[in-house]
Amino acid sequence: MKKDNLETDKAHAHVVWPSHVPGVPQGGRTGRLAKTVGLYAEGEMAKGTARRSTGIRPYDRNPIDPRSPNFSPP
Amino acid sequence: MQTTGLGKQQNLVEMAWDPVTRIIGNLGIYTKIDFANREVAECKSTSSIFRGYSVFMKGKDPRDAGFITSRICGICGDNHATCANYAQNMAFGIKNPALAEWMINLGEAAEYMFDHSIFQDNMVFVDFCERMIAETNPKLLARADSTPAPHAKVHGYDTIGEIMRSFNPFSGKTYLDALQMSRLTREMFCLMEGRHVHPSTVYPGGVGSVASPQVFTDYLSRLVRFLDFAKRVVRMNDDVFDFFYEALPGYEKVGQRRILLGCWGSWQNPDYCDYRYENMTNWGRHMFVTPGIVVDGELVTTDLVEINLGMRILLGNSYYDDWAEEETFVTKDPLGNPVHQRHPWNQTTIPKPQKRNMEKGPYSWVMSPRWYHEKTREHLALDTGGGPLARLWTTALAGMVKTPFVRSTGHSVVIDLPQSTTLPEMELEWKVPKWANTIERDRARAYFIAYSAAMALFFVEKALERLRTGDVKTFQEFDVPDEGIGCGFHEAVRGVLSHHLVIKDRKIANYHPYPPTPWNASPRDSFGTPGPYEDAVQGCPIFEENGPENFKGIDIMRTVRSFDPCLPCGVHMYLGEGKVLHEVHSPMAGLGGA
Repeated sequence: MKKDNLETDKAHAHVVWPSHVPGVPQGGRTGRLAKTVGLYAEGEMAKGTARRSTGIRPYDRNPIDPRSPNFSPP
Repeated sequence: MQTTGLGKQQNLVEMAWDPVTRIIGNLGIYTKIDFANREVAECKSTSSIFRGYSVFMKGKDPRDAGFITSRICGICGDNHATCANYAQNMAFGIKNPALAEWMINLGEAAEYMFDHSIFQDNMVFVDFCERMIAETNPKLLARADSTPAPHAKVHGYDTIGEIMRSFNPFSGKTYLDALQMSRLTREMFCLMEGRHVHPSTVYPGGVGSVASPQVFTDYLSRLVRFLDFAKRVVRMNDDVFDFFYEALPGYEKVGQRRILLGCWGSWQNPDYCDYRYENMTNWGRHMFVTPGIVVDGELVTTDLVEINLGMRILLGNSYYDDWAEEETFVTKDPLGNPVHQRHPWNQTTIPKPQKRNMEKGPYSWVMSPRWYHEKTREHLALDTGGGPLARLWTTALAGMVKTPFVRSTGHSVVIDLPQSTTLPEMELEWKVPKWANTIERDRARAYFIAYSAAMALFFVEKALERLRTGDVKTFQEFDVPDEGIGCGFHEAVRGVLSHHLVIKDRKIANYHPYPPTPWNASPRDSFGTPGPYEDAVQGCPIFEENGPENFKGIDIMRTVRSFDPCLPCGVHMYLGEGKVLHEVHSPMAGLGGA
């Protein structure tokens, strides 16, 4: 194909479509946090449950710092 | 580098470097050199690749913008991802949780440390190393060997000549140390953003990295090791660059151009940033690198809304057709201000491939972004000073950044680095220089490495503070709106970065990334104004001792490299009327896979 002063091949590219396939879960949609096991909303924050953060029965085991059950595990 | 003597025109010798090496992409520099007066008479910069992001982004899912545009660049892709996320946040009407913002800031700080170190020490310094200087300026090397280095106690090199030997590629200590540091800083980056250089855990609405105490202490332990390197690098740079001014009187003229600097700001402050366009002026001014435009040494604005509305994309010598008659996507911004047809929100990219015409144009795939200054009615060809020069300059003059480790004084930036492995605490002060030239662009880069390290210390403290309250939220949920507009302003490593997004019917209707290299590498625009590379090289005095026969063009190359050129982002792969290679890989054997 000749265009202006340059010769090129004919177009092989297709029109693009949005990538999302209907029916596939969307990770970022609203309401996602409420369904996430181990996290719960508190005001603007989200906190980790004791079970998620420190393992087995953390309150029975008397954590050194009361905030520590909220930390994310390493 | 391919150097071609193209014959003589009167007393001018045509010299071309195409492609320029030790940069990324396809940059060609075409000059006419007046050897009798030892000066570059004319310069044109050209790029021979077109990529077309703004063309193929149309019709895509708006949530994918960050992941796709990250691929614009293989060295600062995360800057694109981050900037795209800023624009997406605005269009989706959400803000990142504070912890996510600190984590993105930490990732971006690691990127600045990584990229500036590897570019400065492994690319730029090759132009200042002993082997190069022995070839281009043997007399200068003799003097360097007998000049004591003022900061020998910090970096351990007694003479300037010794520092230059440490810059030698593949054998010099500085060169090798920088490679080690690049590994360390990439690890820091990956802790926060998942993968370098295309982040896997940075999205609109926040990050997917888990904010645990360990991730921050892992980052911090690496950062403290890096501090030693940062302190030494700044002092080595000062010693070498001060020596150049002293030993080669007039060297300040190399790469000098009118002071026209633009910085779009970096690192959001989550206490202020809500990503609403209506509040952009305020949260922009609370960024940890202040956005701004400096014209002739004066700070003309720090307002991101004003910066946004002044953007104009001009043609002139680029291989595109005009879009004046195409669709106008945004007539007014959310504040009611009119938006120009030449603004990125309204741009339609219409590529027109053709042969290069260096004499009459067009000659480049790069367009010509300019900033319209209402007061003087000029379309300013802003440059980024390679990134750090503009960032430090606007931050210094604005006097808005006040943090425990970095503070702006109104005329300088003071950086306090605490004690590290081998060196004591150190206060570094970057003062506004007299010139925007090659040496000052390179010097600023070293100071910005220290600036980023100091800021990273602050960000770690803020993130840990947040974590100690029990907060682990790093992601904000959102739904994609049917319609919306957004803009993101950030600093890619080598300078200004903006992404402009228009959503219609839940799809991208228009998308235009404007990274630093279109600003710096632009050709002559429709008004005939040369782009910054062209401007900085034209009139550049020649200090190289070689004649036309074995001319290396070291002063020209130093100038071009001082801008930290990165051409893949200069133009956005064109497949429109070319051949497409279909290569399909499916990991699911038997389910439609080959």
